[in-house]
Amino acid sequence: MLLPKFEYHEPTTLEEALQLLSELGGNAKVLAGGTDLLVKMKLKVDQPKHVISIARVPGLDSIVPRNGHAITIGAGVSAASLACHEKIRDRFTPLALAASRLGAPMIRNRATIGGNLVNGRPAADLSPACMVLNARFRLKSASAEREISANEFFRGPGDTAIEPHELMVSIYAETPPPWSGGSYIKLGARKTLEISMVNVAVLLTLKAPDGPIAEARIALGSVAPTPVRAYAAEEFLVGKTPSDELFQQAGEIGVGLCSPITDHRGTMEYRCMMIEVLTKRALKQALERAKVWQP
Amino acid sequence: MKTIIQLTVNGQPTEAAVDSNTTLLQFLREDLGLTGTKHGCGLGDCGACTVILDGKPVNSCLVLAVQARGREVITIEGLEEDGRLHSIQQAFVEKGAIQCGFCSPGMILSAKALLDENPKPTEVDIRTAISGNLCRCTGYQKIVEAIQEVSSTLQGTEVS
Amino acid sequence: MSEYQVLNSRAPRLDGPVKATGRAKYTDDISMPGMLYAGILQSPLAHAKILHIDTSKAKKLPGVKAIITAKDVGLIKYGVSPARYDETLFAFDRVRYVGDEIAAVAAVDQATVQEALSLIKVDYEEIPAVFDMFEAMKEGAPQLHAEFPGNLNAEVHQEFGDTEAALQGCDLVVDHTFLNKRQDAAFIEPQSCVAVFDLDGKLTLHTSTQVPHYVMRTVAMVLQIPVGNVRVVKPYVGGGFGPKCEANPMEMSCGFLARQTGRPVKMTYSREQVFLHSRARHQFYAEMSLGVKKDGTMVALKNKAILDGGAYTSFGIATVYYSGSLLGGPYKLQAMKYDGIRVYTNKPACGAQRGHGGVAHRAAFEQLLDMTSEKLGMDPVEFRLKNMMVTGDMTINELDMSSLGMKECIQAVRDGSDWSNKKGKLPKGKGIGVACGFFVSGAGYPIYRSDTYHSTVVIKVSEDGGIVNVLTGSAEIGQGSDTTMAMIAAETLGIPLANVRVTSGDTDLSVDLGAYSSRQTLMTGHATKEAAEQVRSRIVGYLAEAMGCDPSSISFKNGNVLFDGGPGNFEQIRSSYIKEHRGWTDPPTGDYLTFREAARIAYLKGGTLVGTGKYKPPRLGGSYKGAAVGTSPAYGCSAQVVEVTVDLETGEITVDKMTDAHDCGLAINRTLVEGQMQGSLSMGLGECLFEEVKFDSRGRILNASLGEYRIPTALDMPNVKSIIVESHEPNGPYGAKEVGEGAIMPTIPAILNAIYDATGVRVTELPVSSERLFMGIKPKK
Repeated sequence: MLLPKFEYHEPTTLEEALQLLSELGGNAKVLAGGTDLLVKMKLKVDQPKHVISIARVPGLDSIVPRNGHAITIGAGVSAASLACHEKIRDRFTPLALAASRLGAPMIRNRATIGGNLVNGRPAADLSPACMVLNARFRLKSASAEREISANEFFRGPGDTAIEPHELMVSIYAETPPPWSGGSYIKLGARKTLEISMVNVAVLLTLKAPDGPIAEARIALGSVAPTPVRAYAAEEFLVGKTPSDELFQQAGEIGVGLCSPITDHRGTMEYRCMMIEVLTKRALKQALERAKVWQP
Repeated sequence: MKTIIQLTVNGQPTEAAVDSNTTLLQFLREDLGLTGTKHGCGLGDCGACTVILDGKPVNSCLVLAVQARGREVITIEGLEEDGRLHSIQQAFVEKGAIQCGFCSPGMILSAKALLDENPKPTEVDIRTAISGNLCRCTGYQKIVEAIQEVSSTLQGTEVS
Repeated sequence: MSEYQVLNSRAPRLDGPVKATGRAKYTDDISMPGMLYAGILQSPLAHAKILHIDTSKAKKLPGVKAIITAKDVGLIKYGVSPARYDETLFAFDRVRYVGDEIAAVAAVDQATVQEALSLIKVDYEEIPAVFDMFEAMKEGAPQLHAEFPGNLNAEVHQEFGDTEAALQGCDLVVDHTFLNKRQDAAFIEPQSCVAVFDLDGKLTLHTSTQVPHYVMRTVAMVLQIPVGNVRVVKPYVGGGFGPKCEANPMEMSCGFLARQTGRPVKMTYSREQVFLHSRARHQFYAEMSLGVKKDGTMVALKNKAILDGGAYTSFGIATVYYSGSLLGGPYKLQAMKYDGIRVYTNKPACGAQRGHGGVAHRAAFEQLLDMTSEKLGMDPVEFRLKNMMVTGDMTINELDMSSLGMKECIQAVRDGSDWSNKKGKLPKGKGIGVACGFFVSGAGYPIYRSDTYHSTVVIKVSEDGGIVNVLTGSAEIGQGSDTTMAMIAAETLGIPLANVRVTSGDTDLSVDLGAYSSRQTLMTGHATKEAAEQVRSRIVGYLAEAMGCDPSSISFKNGNVLFDGGPGNFEQIRSSYIKEHRGWTDPPTGDYLTFREAARIAYLKGGTLVGTGKYKPPRLGGSYKGAAVGTSPAYGCSAQVVEVTVDLETGEITVDKMTDAHDCGLAINRTLVEGQMQGSLSMGLGECLFEEVKFDSRGRILNASLGEYRIPTALDMPNVKSIIVESHEPNGPYGAKEVGEGAIMPTIPAILNAIYDATGVRVTELPVSSERLFMGIKPKK
């Protein structure tokens, strides 16, 4: 399969990259791992005149813990790196799990967190994980810089808050408090190499190992034009003692917050029922991890 | 407009002029004649075009040749040493892990990348490592067995 | 220990090292000086009249060397079965599916080809299309071919015994319906070819095919050149599984383009084009009733089939016959009725795929057996065993089970899976299922009516006597036929495998019908054995003369020559051999005369030492209409037990364990046999759980990629306990028969029966996605 013609740019500093973006804007696409962009270009879904590779911009591929209170992840960090990073697995579990379920090994070695997020696919693996972590995305342009919450970033299928002249440079998330546990569940046809029919990320925080729920965050993917936070289900859980029935009820509330479609991967009806089941399961898994939280 | 790139392919410094829209797969097959890397789908779905880029297996159909500038690429042609099969290649031959052979180069490179990083993988580790390399002939069993065989000899070496 | 020196071993395949190192050349790896690239323009509409084709703009594009349409290549009808030639290379007045070929372009590079294709302007008048086989049969449905009213491509009506009367006499009649989905073979190597015309008008076509012989004939016919002027050469092939069993438009287009330009022309299908060309598994609808006696004796089977054929016939005539004929066994029946029809729809044509015509109906039937045994209160294994045919039995439709280890297979999987301790004893959500099946070991008749040999082989020995070269037109496509032939030649000649080379896949070498219907081990194997025997007897004759001994005293073993079982007095032969080869580093040594020295004698006396072999089956089968389809000199058979876990909350299925026993006669190469078994099960698992080619409302494929058309990954496929059962097949070379297709027969129903055991839900439609199963489970909650 042939790629259309384009002009290739390979900036070596962030400033240079942002300058190029501000000049080329809508005529340019940022190339990170290429696992989405090059596919779209081969299929002629996207035919940018310019392609700006950010692979040689220093710093975009690093993971920087912030004194234990938070973490900053460069937008160019690969899914494979996220999946095996000890700190992320330990404290930001939904993100590590979601990264480990993205595509297949070769895809994970190339695909980046920034690329996965700015694509804005409703079924993307990393979006719900970032949402339950209340992650904040740092967007930079040649003239400005801003931060936006993961929960405000997604606007529709393929549509996010990023502007054509902006580059996502990093993802920042605060370390969840003690007695937190996270999970990520993805439903597809095969065990791997899948696009989610439904996915669920959960972060659950207990007041104490055997205590009631202090905070719950649930995000659902592939169930609406954007991944959605199930706020009503979260609020329902707060202060209550965890149990299977409680989680079941949370799942039922979750369904009401979604508007899945029927497509060739699955019907609306089935997706709705799976939202319920998977939410319940993700909560249970998160609970198990929260109970054994270690300082 | 062509760009001059320098990179290392199978240990050899290589310099070439490439178009920006040339994929690494096209560059290897068409410019360097390294046709052991196969084109199965062009969209990163099948893994037949797997090469090792800076130590990691990647789909070369989804990497631009220009992106490989300054990097190290290992293709299936780079595994033999002095005309002798690499231990993974040998195990694939002996264990019956090869049928039509079209997935074999990519499969072997995924196996190599795995064993380089983790010489003692579990069966699930192995199956996960090759899960992006589709094989329609073997049902994967003999491939897994071949990789286990190599791994067991690696362990043996470590002990002795 | 085996009585054989080479056969029945686990010899590594001959092409292993070249494939492991990436040196093996597949068609798309070929590059030639001056080579042009080509591409095909395909219809974006499912059904339309072509009003006008304008290639003028494309022709003016710099770098374009030739453009051909129906006007240039004519309207010669071709297809698979001469009785149903319903295709032309390019559509002339009408396109019948999204993907129908309209024109082809040759240009200096691929980018120019693509641009030229986009510049060809076709004016269409869209007409109503029909995509569903049931709709296509209705009155007033859009019609695809005027010659076949009602979109009825083919129909079969067969009855053996009085089925209605037999059913009425039964204690129990159980009905079942089943629907599978259109599939894709999903071989990893897309079709590719390179056509080269020399100055004498001879065409050499390098192509990724299973059947060089048939491609040669079809291409010669369509290009209107003498068949002797077409040479088809098959490089290494990256899997076939059926769809590469017929000449394709790419091969013919490249032939025309190469002739017109005088330059080599290469074309390779994109993955999407592989799906558009299709020729893979049909969609089948099955409706069947089985009548039994209270004691579990099977009496009568009524079987109806509707096949969605797509826009053209391809292999479809054979397919619709197979769906009936392959249910004649392996169980004894007193009556059987079959009514099958194949329907045209505006979709890519379906053809042959592993287990041709038999897979879906076998799945339906083996489910029906479980449903019946449940009603009878019998164990499904016992029920099957009670009705099983044995060696020497003839099916009701006159298929001769000249060897049949079916009982041994089912007993082996019963014991190998610990069936008795699991069946009916597993917790909810866990299930175990069994099924059986069989398949031909080579079709009894060629695709075109002919007295041709199905296989000829030439064996040529090097002048020094050291290397035996098997020359054959047979097609190594990954299944290991080259290795199989080498082993048969080595065994027959009493020499080590290392002394045998195989040159194959070239129509200039010999006649061979190719790699389909699991025929090469038996048929090419016979021809190879006969050729080797001829070589051996020539050597023996000359050697006996030279030694002054009785020919019957001479035998060969491990590359040595034995005289009355001993070394004999061969000093003179050895010393003259060594003299002749002065300076060579590998003089013959040891206590015995070597094959090499003996073959050298034969060369010195008689010139280049050649042996030829040939095979065609005897007249097989009954005399009723369609009796030929399903006949074979031998049948391989298989039984499988599958264990699954079903997630009752989501419907997700995990296949935990598979136990497979296959009767392949003598296993020529045990590793290759297991490879075929495991590969078949993997394909069956995919077809059962994931695979379906899906279309939108305008006939465009929704999932023409390996991302969205899901074949099993290494994480989806469990390990298979593979048990080789070896009967002795009297009609096979050294008692060998098939393994490549029979092994897929039980897989789908064994999984479905296991799912039923786990959930109590009888799935009647494939694939069993988590959603389909969940929707079945849900009301039962």
